[in-house]
Amino acid sequence: MATTTIDLPAAQVELEKKARPAWLETWQRFARNKPALLGLLIIILLVLTALFAELLAPYDYRQTNLDAVEQPPSAAHWLGTDAIGRDMLSRLIFGARSVVFVMFVVATLTFTLGLLLGAIAGYFGGWSDTLISRLIDFLFAFPSLLFIFFIAATIKPGLVESLRSFALANNMPWLTDFVRSGYADYLVVMISLSILGWAGLARLVRGQILSLREKEFVLGAQAVGVPHWRIITRYLLPNSLAPIFVAISLGLGSIALSEGILAYLGVGLQPPNPSWGNIIAEHSVRYWRTWPEMIWMIFIPFAVIASVVFAFNFVGDGLNEALNPELHD
Amino acid sequence: MSNTLLDVRNLRTEFATQDGIVHAVNGVSFVLEEGETLGLVGESGSGKSVSMLTVMRLIPMPPGRIPSGEVIFQGNDLLKLSAEEMRQIRGNKIAMVFQDPMTSLNPVLTIGTQITEALELHMGMNNEQARKRAAELLKMVNIPEAERRLDDYPHQFSGGMRQRVMIAIGLSCSPQLLIADEPTTALDVTIQAQITDIVKRLKRELGMAIIWITHDLGVIAGLADRINVMYSGYIVETAPTKELFANPLHPYTVGLLGSIPRLDEGKREKLTPIEGLPPDLVNLPVGCPFYDRCRFRTEKCLQENPPLMSVGVKHWSACWNYEDVRQQRDAILKRTALPVAGTPQS
Amino acid sequence: MQAQPQTKLPPPAASANDTKPILQVKDLKKYFPITQGILFQKKVADVKAVDGITFDVLPGETLGLVGESGCGKSTTGRTILQLYRPTEGSVIFENKDLAQLKGEDLRKMRSNMQMIFQDPYASLNPRMTVGDIIAEPLEVHNIAKGKEKKERVQELLQIVNLNPYFINRYPHEFSGGQRQRIGIARALAVNPDFIVCDEPISALDVSIQAQIINLLGELQERFGLTYLFIAHDLSVVRHISDRVAVMYLGKIVELTDSKALYANPLHPYTRALLSAVPIPDPVIEEKRERIILVGDVPSPVNPPKGCRFHTRCPLAIPICKEVAPEWREVGNGHFVECHVV
Repeated sequence: MATTTIDLPAAQVELEKKARPAWLETWQRFARNKPALLGLLIIILLVLTALFAELLAPYDYRQTNLDAVEQPPSAAHWLGTDAIGRDMLSRLIFGARSVVFVMFVVATLTFTLGLLLGAIAGYFGGWSDTLISRLIDFLFAFPSLLFIFFIAATIKPGLVESLRSFALANNMPWLTDFVRSGYADYLVVMISLSILGWAGLARLVRGQILSLREKEFVLGAQAVGVPHWRIITRYLLPNSLAPIFVAISLGLGSIALSEGILAYLGVGLQPPNPSWGNIIAEHSVRYWRTWPEMIWMIFIPFAVIASVVFAFNFVGDGLNEALNPELHD
Repeated sequence: MSNTLLDVRNLRTEFATQDGIVHAVNGVSFVLEEGETLGLVGESGSGKSVSMLTVMRLIPMPPGRIPSGEVIFQGNDLLKLSAEEMRQIRGNKIAMVFQDPMTSLNPVLTIGTQITEALELHMGMNNEQARKRAAELLKMVNIPEAERRLDDYPHQFSGGMRQRVMIAIGLSCSPQLLIADEPTTALDVTIQAQITDIVKRLKRELGMAIIWITHDLGVIAGLADRINVMYSGYIVETAPTKELFANPLHPYTVGLLGSIPRLDEGKREKLTPIEGLPPDLVNLPVGCPFYDRCRFRTEKCLQENPPLMSVGVKHWSACWNYEDVRQQRDAILKRTALPVAGTPQS
Repeated sequence: MQAQPQTKLPPPAASANDTKPILQVKDLKKYFPITQGILFQKKVADVKAVDGITFDVLPGETLGLVGESGCGKSTTGRTILQLYRPTEGSVIFENKDLAQLKGEDLRKMRSNMQMIFQDPYASLNPRMTVGDIIAEPLEVHNIAKGKEKKERVQELLQIVNLNPYFINRYPHEFSGGQRQRIGIARALAVNPDFIVCDEPISALDVSIQAQIINLLGELQERFGLTYLFIAHDLSVVRHISDRVAVMYLGKIVELTDSKALYANPLHPYTRALLSAVPIPDPVIEEKRERIILVGDVPSPVNPPKGCRFHTRCPLAIPICKEVAPEWREVGNGHFVECHVV
């Protein structure tokens, strides 16, 4: 049957003998995208900053110094100080920890909920699909900021109050500390962003699974006799993960942004909890008259938030291209 | 009729892509007479569609570019016209029908509106005249109850009917040239037969010239007066239809004829496929683009790309070894014919 | 044109009496429900994609199944392989009714029957390497493991004339024709007896089509395969088939051996279909007489009463509008469903 052989030149054949793992190819495609690489670098820096905030920050982010308020940048305070003498750099560094903490928890929750509920709706269909889809539609239709205000205004005071009385009644000083320290703010932000966040992901997963089930290669796997669980793990999931990863990467950027917005509006993290959003909020009021000397007080957290959001968007785009080789044929 | 309608000279089209410059059309020259039907045959990537889109100036630029060429239509070079002048020609003197009848009609406008649009624009008709003419056109392409159907929307028509509507729109301004880009490829054979039947009749009645782009040698055999065979952006052979089928002199044409099963042949008459794949349009070889797949190749083919050479009456082939092809092709093409209902038996 | 040689081989249909069919399809129906409603879904109608068809496939033959888009030919292939479960009827393959098999029993039967798909771009998992794709059936049916598996995969690649070193590549690195070869290698991996080829060449360029047709022919001879070859192109079907079944709107209207079907078609639809297929020869085309059908194929949701073809049939008589014709044998394995014949 030599008549129909399609042979490549010998050199190329040699090249084929060495197996190149899938992740390496994906990485190579990703690495060709320069903005995505820059984005990845920013994200790595962000995570490292969050992890090693204590080591990096020159001061405690809560420590006030009334002898050095509203200082411009200096050797002692690289980015200056705020109105009650807290070190800006330290607050920014711990702000990174806040935002990474929120992103991590919210992403985990939305990923789990979205994947699970979306897959159930898409794979089993019927009643579960109707129920989940209606819930998704409801969440999409509802104005999200209003929803968060609602949670912040109703659930948060109640939650704080009941936690406090629970701690008192059961003599749990660490819980009292927890409530007093303002960590309840994190809970509110994370809960509201997760509740809102999973719906988009679930809709995406559902659509992915539905369309993949009709693809010829899934039919082909059935025709070959591949068992159900193997179709799910080797055919449906790997092919739906790419857009899910992309959505999550883009979603992380918007979580960071939402965290900042909520803090700025006063329904998210409250001072003294460090958040880039509340740094902007504090200075935007206080330093209007001293413009332009103090503009960097606003500009720096602003630039930090913007670069993190851009970073996640770039990485999302890069992932989209790297994970979908078909796009580039 | 021997007046030249369209004279294409050394036309080139290229596209800038991430991987480099794609050389889609590489110096195509041909002449179309008034009232002539020309078949443009080739596989995907042969440049058959792109060359006609270039003639119509429908290439998106960028990424497209037309580095050289002249397209003389009735004495004017279309490539030198302004966008406005070109608009006056498109749909009026030259009409085009595309492959996919499902997407070439606007879904939110009635069929009537879409036909009368061109009539009012190019022919200066008023609404009433245009509607009357539109109904005539639909009758011409065998659409029953034409007057009533003018008020229907595209989704109320089947694929075959939509393609007939597209032809009606194409013919609405009585063009001198109709370019049909694989108009029956997306349709079933019985519907394809309806369409080719209509086109043949309309051509007899209206006398326009047609350029019919296709990959299907069967469809074109019954339609065209002359055929250009295209490969990798070059015309590799051109001849009157009967001459081309009886006396193919390019290895690619021979390969195409040898690789298609025919209705009038029995089981397992050995097909002779063309081995391998067409060349990458980004890295075209210096020599003949068909070299890798050619069974007649020689050293010269590797070094020099053959131009179209006169090999017979109105017959040109771009092959250095066309004499070898003439002598050896019968072994490739020889097959036994079997009876088929409805075909003439000799 | 010379008359064909007179030494006639017995047509496969004639041996139907002494050869036991490998596959028997009886009164097979496949309806797809159309549902409406947001919360409470209820069935409002059925798409009658396949509406009662009966035929046998003999071992070692190629049965061509032709028809135009929407006639139900692809659904037939998928329903036979139980990728869609039949609404009614039976599919008897190697003495078992596949329509009754479930779960693990059905899955195990799949090592004897395989499918080759139409779209080489959609039928391979883009996230698996070619080696993994071809090895998949070997793994799920516990045929080979480890080194033996790898050797078998490379052997299969060679069988379909692909470079055996390609195992670490992904489908998108191949051309359409090469991908179709990969699909064929996967289908061959389990040594099946029977393969449904669902328009395996219609997405390919002309010059590549011939490569795949020849390959399928060679494989049939080499491994004694039986094909159900689904296509819309009658020229290709004639080239590859021993017998041909013609489908129209969910029904088989005519079935006979290839030579008889093309030389002496009985059903008016078959005649129209044959006359519509162009022949790449201008001399023949000039003299051919076409039977141009009027109108379009009716919807399979509401197929016409009586004979389904009567709305377009040039020979229709009053009874055709009222009574559906029966599937009957008119001699020597030639079946037809028509009142007029």
